[in-house]
Amino acid sequence: MNVSFDPASLRRTVVEMAYAGNSVHLGCAFSIVEMLACLYGRHMRYDAADPRDPARDYLVLSKGHGVMAQYACLLALGWIDRGDIDSYFQDGSRLKGLSDAHVPGCEVTSGTLGHGLSVGVGLALAAQRRSSGQRCYAIVGDGELNEGAIWEALMFAAQARLANLMVLVDANGFQAMGRTDDIMALGDIGARFSAFGFDVATVDGHDMAALSAAIDGLLAMDNGRPKALVARTVKGKGVSYMENDNAWHYLRLTPPLYEQAMRELGSLV
Amino acid sequence: MRAAFSRALAQAAARDERVLLLTGDHGYALFDEFRKLCPGQYINAGVAEQNMVGVAAGLAKAGFRPVVYGLSAFVPVRVLEQIKIDVCYEQLPVTFIGDGAGLVYSTLGTSHQSFEDIACLRAVPHIDILSPGDPGEMTAAMDFALGHNGPVYLRMGKADLGAVHNGVPALRRGELIAARPGRHPVGFIATGSMLKTALAIAGKIDAPVWSAPWIKPLDEAALAQAVGGCRALVSFEEHSAAAGLGSALLEALALGHPRPVLRIGIGERFSTTCGSHAHALREHGLDLDSVEARVLPFAAQWGPA
Repeated sequence: MNVSFDPASLRRTVVEMAYAGNSVHLGCAFSIVEMLACLYGRHMRYDAADPRDPARDYLVLSKGHGVMAQYACLLALGWIDRGDIDSYFQDGSRLKGLSDAHVPGCEVTSGTLGHGLSVGVGLALAAQRRSSGQRCYAIVGDGELNEGAIWEALMFAAQARLANLMVLVDANGFQAMGRTDDIMALGDIGARFSAFGFDVATVDGHDMAALSAAIDGLLAMDNGRPKALVARTVKGKGVSYMENDNAWHYLRLTPPLYEQAMRELGSLV
Repeated sequence: MRAAFSRALAQAAARDERVLLLTGDHGYALFDEFRKLCPGQYINAGVAEQNMVGVAAGLAKAGFRPVVYGLSAFVPVRVLEQIKIDVCYEQLPVTFIGDGAGLVYSTLGTSHQSFEDIACLRAVPHIDILSPGDPGEMTAAMDFALGHNGPVYLRMGKADLGAVHNGVPALRRGELIAARPGRHPVGFIATGSMLKTALAIAGKIDAPVWSAPWIKPLDEAALAQAVGGCRALVSFEEHSAAAGLGSALLEALALGHPRPVLRIGIGERFSTTCGSHAHALREHGLDLDSVEARVLPFAAQWGPA
């Protein structure tokens, strides 16, 4: 099965479902598109025919607010279908506005921030105990790093020498109500992870080649330390009027804005 | 009772390598046997309870059977959201042990005293709440918890009160256990550490006593049948009188089998002074004399003319 994870196509799916469901959280979905495309398309080992394959690598979306970008990948995989996208937020539909572990392909129920990473640490620990070779990739937001539970999880991961855990930080510089620097400044995120015992790489989170090389580089460090990839990203990436405008954490698409977004993302319609 | 708990846990872990113990840096001496028998299955997750519960959820998703140990003030209360979202929503087989429940930490004060743990969990779907009343019930409760394919909270309160039953009683999920027959029309239902208090008062008026090892679920039909001959009931718990055993009984009986229930438990207050467990019970009106002073008039009101 040859699945394509083209970022523009994934973003179009996000726009379509946000428009269909009159949903918010577009900006935080767009900043993780390349990360997801890279993980699903190049690095994760899984059975494309079986989202519950017990030998799979895990993708834990701890920042559940970006879930529409993951849904776009799950659609590409055929784990959800077009009807799920078109009926987003309709009465009785199954895809929620935050990651939900009942959806095939979503490993955790998140959105209450600071939960998913710990569950991912548990998954990585289970794999380590069984020497199964499985890896866990956990995507956290920079805003999510406000949560104390994140730092509990990082300490545990380093102590347990979970070299099969990679934390990918979506460093888009914003959180719900403004810039992270103005709300809970993190300074050098990589230095913080390094101080917590992680191998760290920092990379342009929208450059697929750079992302991929950084992931490979981290995995090549066979030293028992957990890995962290700080992805410098742009909230709202891909649609001009959303980029770095934090209002798109909450704004909804009008018909003209929907059409403009689809045009900018290469839709021929 | 603590010995029964730690023995049951160590034996289960020795039988089944999927059983892992996670502790938030608590349990001094309690896990010596476990660590000797199964050192590789012991995980001290540090003083970081939220992460500990998330890790347990991940382990359970991958097929392990984690047992999460903490003081009941922290597990489940501090980590209620992790229990709800990470464990109960997916109905994962994680057993939570809340030790020192009620007023056990009488000298340490409000941070370690815990009489809201049952109340917190009663509204969370899919988790069983067990509160064993003697070592035999503890052994049976552990046996259930480690074999159950879903989340369980096992409450361990004042644990040195001795045995009530002969050996290990047979537990049926959601049902009471008869602890004492009696001819008085007011029946007593007690859980955990208050079972002995209920038995002591029952002896004076020949009231029947049941132990309630299960708070949730409560089998309504079995409950109605067990107490069908009682005109009124008294519930006993070292927990808030709101949203604990007494409330659960009232709710279970309200529609089909309504009857008055006097709820003996902790009221709308925190402890204000320091002292022994017996002192803390007196402060909250849960010592034998105080309880008797409330129960006997109630029993007389509903008792034989």
